[in-house]
Amino acid sequence: MRIQSLCAALAILALAGCAADPAPTEQFRLTEQALEQAKAVGATDDVPELKLAEQKFTRAQGSMADQSFKNARMRAEQAELDARLAEARVLTQKSQEQLTALDARIIRLRKQLGEVQ
Amino acid sequence: MSVFKKLGGGLLVLGCAGLFGCASQGSESALQQANSSFQSVKDDSNVLRNAPRDVIRAGESLARADRLSNYWGSGADVRHYAYLSQRYSEIAREHSNEAMNQERLAKLELERQRLQLALREAKLLSVQQQGKWLEEQIVSLATTETDRGLVMTLGDVLFDTGEADLKSSANRTVLKLVQFLQLNPKRVVRIEGYTDSTGARQDNLQLSRARAQAVADVLIDLGIDEKRIQVEGYGDEYPVEANASERGRAKNRRVEIVFSDEKGRLGAAR
Repeated sequence: MRIQSLCAALAILALAGCAADPAPTEQFRLTEQALEQAKAVGATDDVPELKLAEQKFTRAQGSMADQSFKNARMRAEQAELDARLAEARVLTQKSQEQLTALDARIIRLRKQLGEVQ
Repeated sequence: MSVFKKLGGGLLVLGCAGLFGCASQGSESALQQANSSFQSVKDDSNVLRNAPRDVIRAGESLARADRLSNYWGSGADVRHYAYLSQRYSEIAREHSNEAMNQERLAKLELERQRLQLALREAKLLSVQQQGKWLEEQIVSLATTETDRGLVMTLGDVLFDTGEADLKSSANRTVLKLVQFLQLNPKRVVRIEGYTDSTGARQDNLQLSRARAQAVADVLIDLGIDEKRIQVEGYGDEYPVEANASERGRAKNRRVEIVFSDEKGRLGAAR
């Protein structure tokens, strides 16, 4: 009896602890920032990670409205990293395109040099 | 009391079973996946060098997921931190790829500049050689090396008698001249007109100057800066042959183009 009631009390305490998660406003700010940054470097909905980030952030905002702060925080955290990955992918893609263009220019230059000499 | 007790105990058992189910399913494989991603970036020296902070975060999130997996009822949290760890690993790899691309870009840019310089030099050399070739052409065409420098003679046939306008048969020669002056931008010329001794001296002076000016005008029209061209008329002075024969007089009716050296130094006018 004693142990059972202790267990029940602990379980209730744990649940209460979950419910008492503070509103993740700072995390929301970080996620918004990451989303903006990804878009600033040119990420669009064509980048799957950005689309995912936006969907998760929308759901996080829904959880926030429902006062379900733990869910809101976790979704926002995932959305932040999804957005950061989208940004990194776009930057890599861009540098890859620059490399391709520069390679082509160098080949052209070499060819011209061969013709002149 | 006893009903309540039974009910509470049953609920507790049910809850525990549910939570346990969550923890064991899905979260275990998410943890394994995150772990193998983390291992692969951790063992990649390029990623470690280029994105150390992301690798560290991947490790921290993974450790947290791992710790949480020891508790019952933590399935969602384990999956969450495993997901974060997985993402950090992917971000680390992506950052590393980008950094390596940038390194390569910097190297290739240097190479491009080097090649461009080499090409410019090669082209310049070939143009200079072409210029030399043209110079040879002009020299072989109608120039003589005199004490006044390189002199090109446009003969009498390029003008109608008594007229100052250049005939169209002069086009070829004039074009070559223009090309030569464009390839040798520092050279300047003096265009000198001469006549034979028939006619009044004053008329001859005027005609010789008008013919020299006609040649200069064509050069200017074709894009040679007029500052590079001097014009002189000498009338019947400085004959190259005696004016006694028709052949001699024809030779004396001429326009001479005196070239400066490559640095633009032109001999003094007569």
